[in-house]
Amino acid sequence: MHIQELILRLQRFWADRGCLIGQPYDLEKGAGTMNPLTFFGALGSKPWNVAYVEPSRRPADGRYGENPFRVYKHLQFQVILKPSPAKVQDLYIESLEALGIDLSKHDLRFEEDNWESPSLGAWGVGWQVVLDGMEISQFTYFQQVGGLDCRPVSAELTYGIERICMFLGGYDNIFDLVHGEVKTDAGVFPVTYGQMRQREEFELSAYSFEHADIELHRTLFEAFEKEGWRLLKDHGHFLSAYEQALKMSHTFNVLDARGAVSTTERPGIIKRVRDLACGCAKAYLEHEESSSTDSTEDTDLKSRVQGGGK
Amino acid sequence: MSVTRTFLLELHCEEIPARFLAPLSEELAIKLNQFVAETLKCPIQRRSGTGADWPLDLFKPFPSEINPSALFSFSYSPRKLAWLIEFLPVEQPDQVETQVGPPQRMCVDEAGQPTIQGQKFAEKWGVPFSAVRFEQPAGKKEPCAVVTITKAGRPTADLLLEALPGLIASLHVPKAMRWGNSEFEFVRPIRNLLCLFGGEVVPITVDGVTATNTTWGHRLFHRQHPEPVTITTPEAYEAALEAAGVVVSVAVRRQRIAEQLETLAAEIGGRVVADAELLDTLAEIVEFPKIVRGEFPANFLELPKEVLVTSLREHQKSFCIEDAHGALLPFFLTAANRVDDPAGFVKAGNEWVLKARLYDARFFFAEDRKQPLSDRLEKLQALTFQRDLGSYHAKTGRVVALVKNLAMKLSNDEEHINRALEAARMAKADLRTLMVGEFPELQGIMGGEYLKHEGAHEEIWQAVKEHYRPIGAEDAIPGTPMGCLLSLCDKLDTVVGCFAVGLIPTGSKDPLALRRAGQGIVRILWEQGWALSLTELITAALGVVGAKATKPVGETTEALLAFFRDRVAYQLEVAGYAGSVRRSALAAGWAELPDLKARCEALSAFADDPRFASLAQSAKRIGNILKDEIAVGDFDGAMLAQDEERVLAMRLRGVESSTDQGSLLAALADLAQPLEAFFNAVMVKCDDLPLRAARLSLLHRLRLAFLRVADFSLWQ
Repeated sequence: MHIQELILRLQRFWADRGCLIGQPYDLEKGAGTMNPLTFFGALGSKPWNVAYVEPSRRPADGRYGENPFRVYKHLQFQVILKPSPAKVQDLYIESLEALGIDLSKHDLRFEEDNWESPSLGAWGVGWQVVLDGMEISQFTYFQQVGGLDCRPVSAELTYGIERICMFLGGYDNIFDLVHGEVKTDAGVFPVTYGQMRQREEFELSAYSFEHADIELHRTLFEAFEKEGWRLLKDHGHFLSAYEQALKMSHTFNVLDARGAVSTTERPGIIKRVRDLACGCAKAYLEHEESSSTDSTEDTDLKSRVQGGGK
Repeated sequence: MSVTRTFLLELHCEEIPARFLAPLSEELAIKLNQFVAETLKCPIQRRSGTGADWPLDLFKPFPSEINPSALFSFSYSPRKLAWLIEFLPVEQPDQVETQVGPPQRMCVDEAGQPTIQGQKFAEKWGVPFSAVRFEQPAGKKEPCAVVTITKAGRPTADLLLEALPGLIASLHVPKAMRWGNSEFEFVRPIRNLLCLFGGEVVPITVDGVTATNTTWGHRLFHRQHPEPVTITTPEAYEAALEAAGVVVSVAVRRQRIAEQLETLAAEIGGRVVADAELLDTLAEIVEFPKIVRGEFPANFLELPKEVLVTSLREHQKSFCIEDAHGALLPFFLTAANRVDDPAGFVKAGNEWVLKARLYDARFFFAEDRKQPLSDRLEKLQALTFQRDLGSYHAKTGRVVALVKNLAMKLSNDEEHINRALEAARMAKADLRTLMVGEFPELQGIMGGEYLKHEGAHEEIWQAVKEHYRPIGAEDAIPGTPMGCLLSLCDKLDTVVGCFAVGLIPTGSKDPLALRRAGQGIVRILWEQGWALSLTELITAALGVVGAKATKPVGETTEALLAFFRDRVAYQLEVAGYAGSVRRSALAAGWAELPDLKARCEALSAFADDPRFASLAQSAKRIGNILKDEIAVGDFDGAMLAQDEERVLAMRLRGVESSTDQGSLLAALADLAQPLEAFFNAVMVKCDDLPLRAARLSLLHRLRLAFLRVADFSLWQ
């Protein structure tokens, strides 16, 4: 199955089950969880269903486009269901069937895998979903986000898009995957993942491991942190401040891939990202609570529709 | 005998992590048993004595007339926790209670008629006044009104209905979660409850889920059958679920998996590389056991066997297959959670994933060997061993120093000593390799493999490879003396270093597994028979830790001595010595293990000798007599007045001149009768002070002679 077909089917499936279809957030991040649609959406008491694709960057996983399985950037398909429905596992299984996976011929298991993001102050319990021995999804019941208890609890489903495509097509190399087909008057041209991304993988790996300016990134990290706290403390702006936390997180990942972070230094740096993210989460909830007590049903409806992302 | 029925409770959840299945099942079983014993006054026992398994013979007729008590059993699958109690009485027995009321004088007037107060007391307990007796209960000063009430026992079903939700909610869940809108916490969401007493539903409610007589079978079964499975009676439970694709008994699943593993390995002329833990895991993660055999490209067999076995186990929960010589075959066995593999997808999928994993492993193996292992030594500086004790680089320095110190005591072959130092220097380098980064359990093994590829001396790479052994109580100590020496020094530095910075295991808390390391040290010394005193080892290791210590040396030494004494005591227990031998031998010194071992052997050989019981009595008397004596002077044989004491003194000289433990014990045994005679005839604390001093010093020397072997006062 083409990558774009898989994405389209997942979007159709979840839209039909009452999810908003969101968009990737336009900042670098390591996982779909960091998108404000999830980070803020999982907080507070309002119902919230959303699904979207998130390109996720892990600088240390870069392999110059030479490794057939590992890449600097991959695609996650992320679903948030709040509160987690009683039939959430069945829904997930139906989504696999919507991808054409005939479960009467496959082995499906939910194996314990508890998720934690120290830089977001977030953790949950759940499983990795294993299809014929292959991990295809991560399934998490959020217990805390931004250091705050989740009430109600959201279910988070994360599909590894490239993995599932490789697995279904029996591909041995991620770059051989077909993203889709370009049709012109001259004919039909399939476009591979490699054509679209291999050079990018090479350059971004080289950047992460060799060319990134360490001093510049250290400076940036400090600057983003300062800017974030200024926005949060002086203005009470949790969305723009949260963007600074995302930038800190990515800057840290680049430094880490560059080998510029020692093991003793690491927990302290992660804590600085977490502190800002937790501050944003707290400010967001306070804002939500004051706007729902001060105002009429009308605003409540509005913020319900807008949810966490705003 | 009262009427009984079978009780069944099943919690049907989303997939419960395998590690919690047995503890949760055990805990509720204990709580249910308490309820049955205390509330229903019914004795209860486990149906089969085979441990935590749902018995294989479940629901085979069990003649109730020979079985006066209820029987419990339980089992689990990834989505189910199930408990069963057979022969559970349908009613609580009647409860007879005695109620004490006001004094007689207030219940009956002078005419012998009941007062208002007396009538009220009878009314309160629902009896006519004529049923009220007057007795003086214990603790009262006068006769009081007393009635005996028989409370009818309540139906068991009602009692279960009241008690079960609380019992379930009280289960201890280490990593509890909430879900949906609820505040209820459990290991994973509870989606269905099945609760039957005989054919009747006990409609308990937990977190909004009310029990019925239905449950769910295998997920794939219900893709075709949308309705739940109805369970008419507890006896029908197991078969109904098997028909719906779930084998409830974990023991049955384990057995079927083991059988399939054996068959599938034999089909290709091999045998399974045994791994009991992995077998348990597979039985816990599937509801229906089906073993699938897959292949991988034979060129991956170039990887070290340990790498393949670990990669298959850790990443794919798969077993390896080996030939008669222990060489791996390019096949693997893994469990699927379904009945069959109709399209071959399960096999193909697992093969695909495994290939990707092995590709990674081969990449690591090739990358790691591009530079010599010694290139990683400097990088150990950035790897923290422990905050106060510093990096692995610092630890390596300490271990090298210890090896140097001990190697010179054990050998005078300079080349051999140099090789031991080289092994110590390289031991931790593999922590910075890609392979150990991916598979931490391959530490040591990879270092050894890489050194072997670099052409290092066999003694060196073997020592590095096995220096983490023994990994647990079941594991053997390193197979070579150099491996033993390196393991000993590494563990000694870990234990002593941690104690020196205040990291001392307490109670059930031993996060750094220091007890296991300490036991490894004792086992190596014990099995190698090295004459290295534990007290000297402690001193040497403390010297190497030096200024990094944050606690006073005296305090640390004391804690370490207590710690190692416990480890040695455990070693004696494992070695199978009798309690009397262990206690008395240990009390006479434990730091030199070959000496301790010789004493235990000698004592065990004499253990049945009746003279030892007498000797023990005498040793106790000696201990008591000497207890209050502050200074005991030199022994003056000429002072002794009676024959019994002169005989004893003569025999004592024989004892003192014995050199080996066997003849010493024989000589001691011969002292039993003279000692008895001595205590019968001689008054030690006589008024003649010089004589008294001579007798005391005789006893003192006797005690010293005993203590060369054992403290017999602890012999029982």
